[in-house]
Amino acid sequence: MRLVFYTGKGGVGKTTTAAATAAYAAACGRRTLVLSADPAHSLGDVLGVRLDQKTTTPLRVAPGLDALEVDSRATLDPHWGAIRDYLVSLFRHQGIYDLCIVDCAPTGSTLRLVTLPEVASRAVKLLLRVQRAVATLVSPVARVVVPVPLPGPEVFRDIDRMLYERLAKLRERLLEADTSVRIVVTPERMVIDEALRAHTDLALFELACDAVVMNRLYPAEAAAEAFFESWGRLQEERLAEVEESFAPLPVLRAPLAREEVVGVAALAAHGAAIFADADPAAVLCVAPRLRFARGKGEYRVELPLPHARKDALDVAKLDDALLVRTGNRRRAIPLPRKLAALALVGAKLDAGVLTVRLGTPR
Amino acid sequence: MRVVLLTGKGGVGKTTLSAATALGAAAHGHRVFLLSTDPAHSVGDALGRPVGGRPVEVAPNVVAQEIAVLDEIERSWAPIQAWLRQLLREGADELVAEEILVFPGLEELVALRAIREVEALGDFDTCVVDCAPTGSTLRMLRFPDALAVFMGGLFDMERRAARIVKPILDRIGVHGLVPGDEVFAAFERLVRDVDDVRQILLDGDRTTARLVTNAARVVVDETRRSFAYLSLYGVATDAVLVNRLLPPTAQDGFFAKWVAREQTEIAALESAFGVPLLRAGLRPAEPIGPDALRALAREVYGDRDPAAILHHGRPLRWRRVGAKTLLEIALPNVSKEEIEVAVHGADLHLRVRDARRAIALPDSLVGRVIEGAQLRGATLVVTW
Repeated sequence: MRLVFYTGKGGVGKTTTAAATAAYAAACGRRTLVLSADPAHSLGDVLGVRLDQKTTTPLRVAPGLDALEVDSRATLDPHWGAIRDYLVSLFRHQGIYDLCIVDCAPTGSTLRLVTLPEVASRAVKLLLRVQRAVATLVSPVARVVVPVPLPGPEVFRDIDRMLYERLAKLRERLLEADTSVRIVVTPERMVIDEALRAHTDLALFELACDAVVMNRLYPAEAAAEAFFESWGRLQEERLAEVEESFAPLPVLRAPLAREEVVGVAALAAHGAAIFADADPAAVLCVAPRLRFARGKGEYRVELPLPHARKDALDVAKLDDALLVRTGNRRRAIPLPRKLAALALVGAKLDAGVLTVRLGTPR
Repeated sequence: MRVVLLTGKGGVGKTTLSAATALGAAAHGHRVFLLSTDPAHSVGDALGRPVGGRPVEVAPNVVAQEIAVLDEIERSWAPIQAWLRQLLREGADELVAEEILVFPGLEELVALRAIREVEALGDFDTCVVDCAPTGSTLRMLRFPDALAVFMGGLFDMERRAARIVKPILDRIGVHGLVPGDEVFAAFERLVRDVDDVRQILLDGDRTTARLVTNAARVVVDETRRSFAYLSLYGVATDAVLVNRLLPPTAQDGFFAKWVAREQTEIAALESAFGVPLLRAGLRPAEPIGPDALRALAREVYGDRDPAAILHHGRPLRWRRVGAKTLLEIALPNVSKEEIEVAVHGADLHLRVRDARRAIALPDSLVGRVIEGAQLRGATLVVTW
């Protein structure tokens, strides 16, 4: 099953674009599921149907097109709870669909969502160790003092195994070649700036982007109107800028329609306009990924980090992990055993690729 | 200190209008702090100059800051992290120890705590807050209730247990595994911070929210939802700001249907809230930099002081009528079927669609049965 995430700053038309892709793919004969993981759901509004958040069964909205809004109120902890539910549904639908489109929360939270498996599998392990340590030590006494019994170690063991397996599986799934992220932008400065940051952050976690969708472009006829002339020119400039910054990613052009795009038929037509001759389910660009390479007496770790800035980049090595921080995001990249024993001898950022050299310290 | 929270679906121009509100208030003689709590900071983009984690003067009488959440957390959670680290003793997992403490909702909380710090500076009479997009803002508002329950229950229990266990463990030589008092103290500080932030947010005499919206259906629907939720959580909304309205000249060309749609949506907005509806037209170019933002503020607020409370209305009110106690909650734009009311212990649990809230009951009502709950117009009345 092809898995495509749509992300972008809130309000850029992410949900509409995701739904249009899904509707068009379904019209092209792909069995398609569109999922919304945005806590402020609007997928139902865009499709023109009422999606019941109480169910985890997708609603058939058109031939070959199912939709589901992930419930965000099932637990006290809406964010993580919702994601768990969504993961479950994702795995359950394996095999039924050719294509799964995920309409994510705005950029910041989306990164949380997609980076969660990695962070969480480490965090869960840690948390469980802490709780287990406390519970093993405290329980015998606590049972006497505290009326509420603390859970025994066997409970933690089960949760540990369950969560770990599920999250590890998802992480693997996200790294597969048929998973991509598409960033939706509008021709606005703030939106583009955030998209650039998001692209770096996604790359840090090895999530491959395969396209950028430039939304709400004024068609020639609209840009010809006096008031909108300068906006039209500005849009042309921004489009060129986005094409250059994000190259080699293709930039798909989504025209502003004459009215709000609502309902499956309108969405499918909008999707056809966005993709022109391209296949909405295809991997539109194969981006380079993290690579370990052998050099003269040393190893190189090559991590593509498009648009990363040197002054906002931090690299360190700790035991079996390489720590990389870009701006506000950071990641511990696990190293193969052979490399874990080596020391950090150098790092450089060149043409959007971070190269870290590991060798025997002199 | 007056606190103005600007929130709304992302991309509607919330940051631009926050910056405009701050500059407009300064033009009315206020000393203004402009605070961005949206993790995707863009205040700098709107002002056309860099703004970072440290307060920086961006115009006369306007200081701006983008909260660096990770740094803030590091600062206030040091004892807890130290404890976790001691447990781990593996360097590589330090990162995780930090990550784990950034539990959902904490980022927003830490960000909002900055409001209190601005107030403590004493140099500002107005704080304009550019909040995260609607979803997270609402989560954050619910958070104080959830945290109190969580902390109150869990940590009291563990602490009592730890007090008794720790001396024994110390004697037999197991150190560091049971959190010391400084860890609990850090948690308690957090609970207190939460409480302070909540006091500020719920004080309708100084804090109001402004919802930024566009006249497009999907956005308007969400704005109506947000309005109901804010009111449910007890935050007063004093204005709705409709941004980027198409110019009158657009009604004859390509944008004709968009203009017609806008008019329908404006009509819906006007009847929906009962608070002033302020408008900003689409500009011929992006409003970036102080001058453009001041002009925008003049268009939105006219002669009004952007720092003033533009509408007075109490979203939540307790009343005594004879032997009965009434709780009135303004809940516009919801229907009876979307509301659930129940008493759990000392709290009234209220659910409106997918938002929940626990309202602490006055002592006199704890243990008493609700006589009824009725939706009268746009007001939910719960009677004991």
